Amino acid sequence: MNPGAKKILLAGLAFAAVYGLLNNLSNIFLLPSAPIISLRPQIALPMAVGILVHPLAGFITGLAGNVIGDAISGFGAFKFWNWHIANGLMGFIPGLAVYRYIHRIDTVRAFGLLQGGIVLACAAGVGAAVVLDVLFIHLLTFPASFPSWILPAFLTDAVNGFILVPVILLLARRIRLTLETRTILMITGLLVVSILATAGAITWAVLDDLVSHSAMVENFYIAAVVSVLLLVAGFIAAIVFVRKVTDPLAGLARAAQAVEQGDYDLPGLAGVSARTDELGRLARIFEQMAGKVRERERTLQRQVDELKIIIDREKQAQDVSEIVETEYFRTLKDKARKFRER
Amino acid sequence: MPKIIAIHSFRGGTGKSNTTANLACLLARQGRRVGVVDTDIQSPGIHVLFNLDPKDTPHTLNDFLWGKCDIGRAVYDVSRVLGPEEREKLFLIPSSIRTGDIARVLHYGYDINLLKEGYRKAIEQFALDYLFIDTHPGLNEETLMSIAIADILLILLRPDQQDYQGTAVTVEVSRQLEVPRMFLIVNKVPAALPGDALAAKVTAAYACDVAGVLPHADEMMALGSSGLFCLTHPDAVLSRILEDILRRITA
Ligand SMILES: Nc1ncnc2c1ncn2[C@@H]1O[C@H](COP(=O)(O)OP(=O)(O)OP(=O)(O)O)[C@@H](O)[C@H]1O
Ligand SMILES: [Mg+2]
Repeated sequence: MNPGAKKILLAGLAFAAVYGLLNNLSNIFLLPSAPIISLRPQIALPMAVGILVHPLAGFITGLAGNVIGDAISGFGAFKFWNWHIANGLMGFIPGLAVYRYIHRIDTVRAFGLLQGGIVLACAAGVGAAVVLDVLFIHLLTFPASFPSWILPAFLTDAVNGFILVPVILLLARRIRLTLETRTILMITGLLVVSILATAGAITWAVLDDLVSHSAMVENFYIAAVVSVLLLVAGFIAAIVFVRKVTDPLAGLARAAQAVEQGDYDLPGLAGVSARTDELGRLARIFEQMAGKVRERERTLQRQVDELKIIIDREKQAQDVSEIVETEYFRTLKDKARKFRER
Repeated sequence: MPKIIAIHSFRGGTGKSNTTANLACLLARQGRRVGVVDTDIQSPGIHVLFNLDPKDTPHTLNDFLWGKCDIGRAVYDVSRVLGPEEREKLFLIPSSIRTGDIARVLHYGYDINLLKEGYRKAIEQFALDYLFIDTHPGLNEETLMSIAIADILLILLRPDQQDYQGTAVTVEVSRQLEVPRMFLIVNKVPAALPGDALAAKVTAAYACDVAGVLPHADEMMALGSSGLFCLTHPDAVLSRILEDILRRITA
């Protein structure tokens, strides 16, 4: 899939309009606990556009969408221009990762790269916004802006993208359901639900005891940061675990394919067959099987090689002349020739 | 132009009758009008494959050969093997299985011109596109006649040292008889042997095209000539190779 420039531009602008409206909506409904940041699930939109249409379309959606959102929210269309660029990068980078390095999301590795790309995009986007602010705009103050603006912006975008982009890609069938993707999706889903539920419950439970607004905000950040750290650690652990199970399976599948194509040397299987678990046993049985098939194939090849068609040419000539030199044969040949000529 | 296709093999039991019957049947199913002649006067057999009871064949090739009847009377419509409603697609000229009839033809022999004329008439009368000749194995006067008459000759052999030498003689004799087109067919090949390699070896040994390599099929054995393999097992490898052979020889 390689859309033309016109298509990229049109798709980028069309989704930018949607993204701008959603931004305006979420700016109206700010989070009660932290008035500066808004929960922005719509960040998944430019990311998904970047992946599904083209990285540049994602960039346009993020950038132009943020301009539109700021304009209709009354912030001024270009006042926070550094954040436009940040949004553009968030739409651009995940698409770039998928376009350049993954192509098809059907393995744990690809899924991990996708999610890594999303988190990286958020870090790069927010980082760029901060750098541009320091250089040109001078609105942020350090270290005060860090917990009140920079970190929340990064966390909310990263968490939303991390959760929602895979959902969109699933609906768009860009994630192919394989054993690997099913497993990692399931574990990731469980992880997200349990961590968010726990964090939410704790925040809720302590809400009444909090006396000051600042304590409430601080509590919220602690919960958010811990949740995200847990999420990241859990996700990495899940990837490692799933690959431990599915890598050998993929190795076995590759080995089966090799055997099917007549290649019986299975160096890729050595690691698997050294395992002491069920997969190791499967691999060892497979190796034995391939060995037997190879043996049978060799025997057959030998049989064909040995298959000699031995014809005693002298005896053949003698037998032939005994037949063709008879009177009967000569007459027969004449008659046959005659009716063939007719 | 109607074509006469003779099937021959130096040794017996190579699968001539079964191959003939199946090829004829496949051609008939493609919409051609096909005749089959059983010239195996000494040991007729192909009528079994077409489910034709000798009791229902008052006239046979033998009667024609000694002038007792027109060839047309010895032609029987056996299209029913293709389906209960089928007519006028597949015809058989059987040989007599009565020992007296057999002995008589063998004793007096017959003339190639008479036989050829009979084939011509049968082809004309029944508007045949193809006439298959099933033969007795070996090179005797009658089989030489069938070879001499054929437009296309198919020589069957098994991958067996016993078949190789005789096949070499047959190929050479057929060449001297100036058969227009000649093909070898290797039959009863162990399924595990790679057909391509075998075909290459046979082609090289006889300097003659191989029309196909037919695997030994247990289902064919099990059928025991009680039916036509290409009808009972249309999707089997053997049936597909038979179709390939037809494509090659009728091209
Ligand atoms: N490809 C095959 N696989 C297995 N069995 C086969 C195959 N071809 C033929 N046969 C079997 O071989 C036997 C002999 O076949 P068939 O009668 O057709 O040979 P033939 O050459 O006509 O014999 P004859 O020389 O006696 O006329 C039959 O039992 C038949 O079922
Ligand atoms: Mg026979």
